[in-house]
Amino acid sequence: MATDPTISLKIRSALGEYLKRDPAAIRVTHHLREDLGLDSMAVIELLYRIEEAFDLQIPDQDLVGLTTVGHVITYVEKRLGKAATPAKTKKTIKPTKTKGKKKS
Amino acid sequence: MRARVVVTGMGIVSPIGIGVSEFWKAALAGQSGISTITSFDPFPMDGYRSKIAGQVRDFAIERFLDSAHGERVDRYAQFALVSTKEALADSGLQMAKENPHRIGVIVGAGMGGMVMGEREITQLYQQQKPHRVHPNFIPVITLNSASGIIAMAYGAKGPNLTISTACSSSAHALGQALHCIREGRADVVIVVGADASITPLVFAGFCSLRALSSKFNDQPEKASRPFDRSRDGFIMGEGAGTLILESAAHAKKRKARVYAEIAGYAATSEAYHMVIPREDGLEVAHTMKLALADAEVTPAQVDYINAHATSTTIGDAVEAKAIRHLFKSRTDKISVSATKSLIGHTLGAAGAIGGIALVLALHTKQIHPTANYDDPDPACALAGLSRSAQERRINVALLNAFGFGSNNAAVVFKQATAEDRRSKG
Repeated sequence: MATDPTISLKIRSALGEYLKRDPAAIRVTHHLREDLGLDSMAVIELLYRIEEAFDLQIPDQDLVGLTTVGHVITYVEKRLGKAATPAKTKKTIKPTKTKGKKKS
Repeated sequence: MRARVVVTGMGIVSPIGIGVSEFWKAALAGQSGISTITSFDPFPMDGYRSKIAGQVRDFAIERFLDSAHGERVDRYAQFALVSTKEALADSGLQMAKENPHRIGVIVGAGMGGMVMGEREITQLYQQQKPHRVHPNFIPVITLNSASGIIAMAYGAKGPNLTISTACSSSAHALGQALHCIREGRADVVIVVGADASITPLVFAGFCSLRALSSKFNDQPEKASRPFDRSRDGFIMGEGAGTLILESAAHAKKRKARVYAEIAGYAATSEAYHMVIPREDGLEVAHTMKLALADAEVTPAQVDYINAHATSTTIGDAVEAKAIRHLFKSRTDKISVSATKSLIGHTLGAAGAIGGIALVLALHTKQIHPTANYDDPDPACALAGLSRSAQERRINVALLNAFGFGSNNAAVVFKQATAEDRRSKG
C-alpha cells in the first residue's frame, strides 16, 4: 500500500488516543469494529476527529467503505491528493453581528 | 398495607465536599462553598452583575471512575455518576445479586448538559461549520443522559426516568421513586439530582432575570443569606446527590443499614407565574399539608424543615409565611435550616442535596447551621433558624422544593423504626 507516513501516523495516533492504546499496536488490517471494538457511535466520533485533523468533510455515502484502519488511511490520502487546493484561503471569522441573515 | 420505603445509601458531589462525610463535616461547621467564578476564563466577568457561585473545584472524572462511562457525558452527568457510585457502595447493594429489572433510576435535572451544549452552539454560530458540531452533542444534551448512563454503568434495568421541573426536579425524583416502590414497580430506585450549568450563557441568563445576588461579590461567603434582611438573590451552585431508596422489606431481607424512612410526597402547581411564587404562600402551605397527609402524620408532629430557602427576597418570605400558616403555634418548635446558605442553589440537584442534609440530620441528630442568618428579617420570622448547628432527635422532617414554572414539591421523611435499625446485620 502506498502510504504517506505522516497521514498513517496521524490516523493511528488519533485512534490510539481514542482507544487509549499504543498507536504502534494498531495495524492497517485492523477492522474498526471487530478488531478495535469500536461501536457505530465510536466510529462516527473517530471520523469526526479525522475530519478535524485533516480539515476534511467526509460525506455520508463514503462511510460504508471505511471499515478498516487501512481503508481510512487510503481514503484520507485519496481525498488529500484530490483536494489540490494550492492556496488555502484563510477565512477570517467575524463575530456575528448579523441578525441571522446570511448574505447571498 | 402499602409498602414502606427507606433510604439505605447516599452519595454527594458538592461545593463543600465530594463524599457524604466531607460534606456533612463542612455543613455542620457552616463552611461556605461560594467563591468568585474563575471557570469562564478567558471570557471576561466584567459584564456580569453577579460574579460568584458555589462551584465544585478541581473535579476530574478520571479521579473517581475507572470506567469510560464518564467520558461521553456532560459535567452534570459526571457528577451524577460519582455521587451514585458512592451511594451504591454506601448502601451495600450488590447488583449481581439483584433482579436488574427491579432496580430503577430516577434523575432530577434542571438544565442538563449545558457545558457542551453552550460550547457547540457558540462554535457553530461563530464558525458556521455545521459539520463540525460534535457527534455526541445530541446524546449529551438530551436531558436523560444522566439517568441513561447510570443504568448502563450499573445494569439497572427497571424504570428509568428523568424529571425536569427546574429547581424542584430532584425533590420530585424522590417523590416519584417513593410512589414507584410503593406501587410495587421496583424494589430499589436510585434517585439522583444533578446540575452543573455555571456557564457564561446560563449564568448571564440568571443575571438578566435579576434572580442572583449582586451585593456581595467582594464577600462571596456572605452572599447566600436565606431569611436574612439583607438577602438580595440566590447564588448559583452546582453538584449532585444520590439517595438509594428501597422497600423496607427489601432492605430488611438484605440486612441493609437504614438511614430513614421516606414517608410522603406531594406535587402541585400554583398555576400562577413562570418565576414568581404566589405571595400569600397558600399553595406552598397546601403542598406541605398534602405531603404530610400522604405520610400519615400531622403538622404537630414535624420537628425539622429543610427549607427551599434560596435567599431571594420574595421566595424566602413566601416560604416562611406558608410555614407559619400551616404549622401555626407549632412553627416555633420546628427547627429550620437552609442548605443553600452553604452551597448556593444547585438547581435540579437541590432537592436531592437538601434531602441528604435532612436524612443526615435524622440519622446523626444534628442540624446544620444556616449561614449568614445575621439579621433576621421580620418578614421571614422563624424561631427554629440558627446560625449554629443544632442537636435534636428528629422524628418527622419535611423537605421543600419549588421550581420555576409555578412548581411545588414537598417530601416527608421519618426516623427509621427500631425494626428498620435492627435489620442491620
